[in-house]
Amino acid sequence: MTLSEVTAVTGIAGDFDVTVKESPRYVDVDKCIACGACTDKCPKKVDSEYEAGTGKRKAIYVKYAQAVPLKYQIDPDSCIRLKKPGACGFCEKVCDADAINFDDTEKIHQINVGAVVLAPGFEAYDPTDAKVWGYGVNPNVITAMQLERYLSASGPTEGHLVRPSDGKPASKVAFLQCIGSRDENLCGNGYCSSVCCMYAIKEAVIAKDHVPGLQTTIFYMDMRTHGKDFDLYLERAKEESGVRFVRCRVNGVETDGAGGDLRLSYVNEDGRQIEEFYDVVVLSVGLQTPKHVLELAKNADIKLTADKFAATSDFSPVQTSREGIFTCGAIAGPKDIPQSVVEGSAAAAAVADLLAPARFEFTAEPSFPTEKDVSKEEPRIGVFVCHCGSNIAGVVDVEAVEEYASTLPDVVYVERNLFSCSQDTQDMIAKRIQEQNLNRIVIAACTPRTHEPLFRETLKAAGLNEYLVEMANIRNHNSWVHGATPDMATVKAKDLVRMAAAKVTYGDSLKPIGVSITQKGLVIGGGVAGLTSALNLAEQGFEVHLVERTETLGGNAMNLKHTWSGEHVVTQVTKLIERVLAHDKVIVHKEFSVTHVSGFVGNFISTITGKDGTTKVIEHGAGIVATGGDEYTPKEYNYDSITKVVTSVQFDKLFELKEKHVKQSRKFVFIQCVGSREGDSMYCSKVCCTHSVQSAIALKKENSERSVYILYRDMRTYAQREALYKEARQLGVIFINYELHGKPKVTENGSVIDVEVWDHVLHRPLKIAADMVILATAIRPKEDAAELGKLYKVPVDGHGFFQEAHAKLRPVDFSTDGMFVAGLAHYPKPIEESVAQALAASARAATLLSKKSISLDAIKATVDEDYCDGCALCVDVCPYHAITLVDKVGADGADGKIIVVNKAQCKGCGLCQGTCPKRGVYVAGFTMQQISAQIQAALAV
Amino acid sequence: MSFEPKIVAFCCNWCSYAAADLAGTARMQYPHNVRIIRVMCSGMVHPEFVMDALAQGADGVMVLG
Amino acid sequence: MLDTKKVGSVMIVGGGVTGMQAALDLADSGYYVYLVEKSGAIGGAMAQLDKTFPTNDCSM
Repeated sequence: MTLSEVTAVTGIAGDFDVTVKESPRYVDVDKCIACGACTDKCPKKVDSEYEAGTGKRKAIYVKYAQAVPLKYQIDPDSCIRLKKPGACGFCEKVCDADAINFDDTEKIHQINVGAVVLAPGFEAYDPTDAKVWGYGVNPNVITAMQLERYLSASGPTEGHLVRPSDGKPASKVAFLQCIGSRDENLCGNGYCSSVCCMYAIKEAVIAKDHVPGLQTTIFYMDMRTHGKDFDLYLERAKEESGVRFVRCRVNGVETDGAGGDLRLSYVNEDGRQIEEFYDVVVLSVGLQTPKHVLELAKNADIKLTADKFAATSDFSPVQTSREGIFTCGAIAGPKDIPQSVVEGSAAAAAVADLLAPARFEFTAEPSFPTEKDVSKEEPRIGVFVCHCGSNIAGVVDVEAVEEYASTLPDVVYVERNLFSCSQDTQDMIAKRIQEQNLNRIVIAACTPRTHEPLFRETLKAAGLNEYLVEMANIRNHNSWVHGATPDMATVKAKDLVRMAAAKVTYGDSLKPIGVSITQKGLVIGGGVAGLTSALNLAEQGFEVHLVERTETLGGNAMNLKHTWSGEHVVTQVTKLIERVLAHDKVIVHKEFSVTHVSGFVGNFISTITGKDGTTKVIEHGAGIVATGGDEYTPKEYNYDSITKVVTSVQFDKLFELKEKHVKQSRKFVFIQCVGSREGDSMYCSKVCCTHSVQSAIALKKENSERSVYILYRDMRTYAQREALYKEARQLGVIFINYELHGKPKVTENGSVIDVEVWDHVLHRPLKIAADMVILATAIRPKEDAAELGKLYKVPVDGHGFFQEAHAKLRPVDFSTDGMFVAGLAHYPKPIEESVAQALAASARAATLLSKKSISLDAIKATVDEDYCDGCALCVDVCPYHAITLVDKVGADGADGKIIVVNKAQCKGCGLCQGTCPKRGVYVAGFTMQQISAQIQAALAV
Repeated sequence: MSFEPKIVAFCCNWCSYAAADLAGTARMQYPHNVRIIRVMCSGMVHPEFVMDALAQGADGVMVLG
Repeated sequence: MLDTKKVGSVMIVGGGVTGMQAALDLADSGYYVYLVEKSGAIGGAMAQLDKTFPTNDCSM
């Protein structure tokens, strides 16, 4: 439901009535074919929201070229006709589809649902009113979102970075961090927006890629690159891309002369006043909750934090103050894409927990018409050539391609489409298949990697086997890369169509492989993440086996005191353990570890071995790796020899026990990044800055006379944790910045510990005679993570943490189907992020476990019994151990051998096909005959 | 007329084919002489295919994976 | 909570990457989903970005 907003939520968890207001679109989505004729004729131009004001749109428009649904809409605030009846109306006149409806009205819907998930996102801070940065005055001051659009190939300048004032190529760009974040004076947003450091680095790197020789400087307070692989990215930006980083807060931006140059003044790290000149200044604007979301929060009756984000608990990070209403994404605090995606899945898990009894109440399996048997028919190929708007048609002579395609053997029908992927074209293709009795389809459009699934559905809807389609990639591999030589691009497009037609001619109807699913879960690791995952799956109604190597549940969390927001960890974790132990669907195996694994998605068989040598065999459909991490044991700062140098976790214990020395000590020094962000451990442990700040606050609160120093490289109290950093400063905690090349020196000097460090404010060395030194130690991956990884065929990264399938979009999935990851096993993170990830892993696992069977792609190795002579060369090369050799009695009665392929384990890679000397095995959909036909077609002219 | 070689490239669906897609997304320009054949893994490419392509007039064959 | 009615459908407010993920996971595990989006198309802020860190993948 687009153009819709929630205006009221009544009822209780499990049974809500939601009022949704749907604003008029003035375009009938069932009729609109997104041809764009209306936009061409529309005389009214306004700033495009999508282009963040860098480009224009018309009053009738689509949000962006790839919009879903790809349907036009009229903006009533700028449409001439809607403001003045009788005027204009050009769009209505040119619309062949008769889709324009100026009389469209607002609609109110009442919808009965069991739960509500709020994921309304954020808005970027608008720096116009703050004035000091010249935004809105000098056009060369832009926001980071505007720079994204300038850098985008689909943006207003097609990726060319120019000065907005005069279109001159930019040569010097400055990024100013913390605009609208960590700044209560100008904008009132005290929190850190968490994502701006990384996006600024990314934009600086990409901008340098676009403009050779471009100078980029990032002015920052603390470099907060705390996520997975972020510090490596930062180092590469410095070392390889040459992005310059300056630690300071720029006071203001002024226009210099009439040329549009910008003057920045700042105090550098040596205390000197510096002036520099730039072409473009990019404001790294923060994230904030927009007004309409505050309104939504009010309508949904949920509580907010002081920073105007949804209030949640660290142990149930997607649960709002109102039962049955959940949040995910930036509404509950600024966060990046992976964390938002994790929370999206986590909210799904929380909903499924609540609504488990009502699963499958309203869902129905999609039904398709009976498939036509085409095996006896001669090929009748239909070719559909896509314009992709102007993406293809702007370069390739699509009419010539159409004409050429009709001359190819077996091609009986050819048509061109503006967007082959649009819903109406899909329907049209299905209609043509039936009308023209087509039995093979070629779609000349974009890449099969994104669009083949869509066209397969189209074939299914038309009663044709879904594998009888082949795509010719005339966009990504042609029009986009040969824009300068349109004639040759047209020749190549014809070749690609010919190749696709040749291949599809030999295509067969293939059946997806059905795999039954063991509807049980296995969770490895009994820490907070594992406990959370197990409990959620059990609450969703699935039997779960929880395997814990030690004799206790709770993991690292049992050593912690408070979460950043002040919740008592051990109390909460103890409750969690009790709930897990009391749940009849969770089977806990303490002092067991996984020792052997066989099987595959839906049908894993894991053998676990106990400390006493006993083994158990567990069958499960999905598995969650939540094996946690370890605290680093420091080798630096004389930790070995000085007893009063302790780690953060040790200090917590001493402090809690009111140990005498801690009680009496007057001077405490915290040293950050011990074992993090250097050498082979170039990653941030994410939790230590907040941990030290919390400890420092506790020390100061207990006795304000104490001196507490925190020696840090960058304070990474990200998101709403910034409030703790502020509190610590207000309490008089002294923060001293050090750089990697000037690490503090710690030596024992009688009854005190001398800590020597360069004072970044006074610009001279400082010696602190400390009573106690606390080392903020790193989180390390489990040493045997890779071994476990091998059992389940899931990888670890360069640091030894488990590697997810995709950094942004599949943050808890492994590339091995049916396996998921959560918690410290994936990367260091605080408790609420572990809990969210654990819930997300459960939600992802539940998408499998809720089904009795799944169907897998039919692109699998297939044995040709006539040719396979059982030589078994393929058995060893198969990376998935999907091939086995079995006995066979030949036609002549002699004993022989032949291979069999386990289709559920086979990934269709075809290593067997490439190895087989006898053509005894082939991959369905990529047979030797099909590929040979493509080769021949490629070279036919 | 200058020499225009014909090159057949076998690209793995998961890496080099995806990379060729991304080259498009990034609008990187390269010569038009290459014809890409998508395979599910470069390991699928039987030596016969390479010989076939060369025998049928390809000036070069790339197996990318 | 045992006796209360449980409706097997969910409303998700917001069609950005977060809301879409929640919608997909719920739909994939047997729930009917209403996805409510304020603007004319789903996609959210991520669709506006050019590339994403730390892999420089295309955002679209």
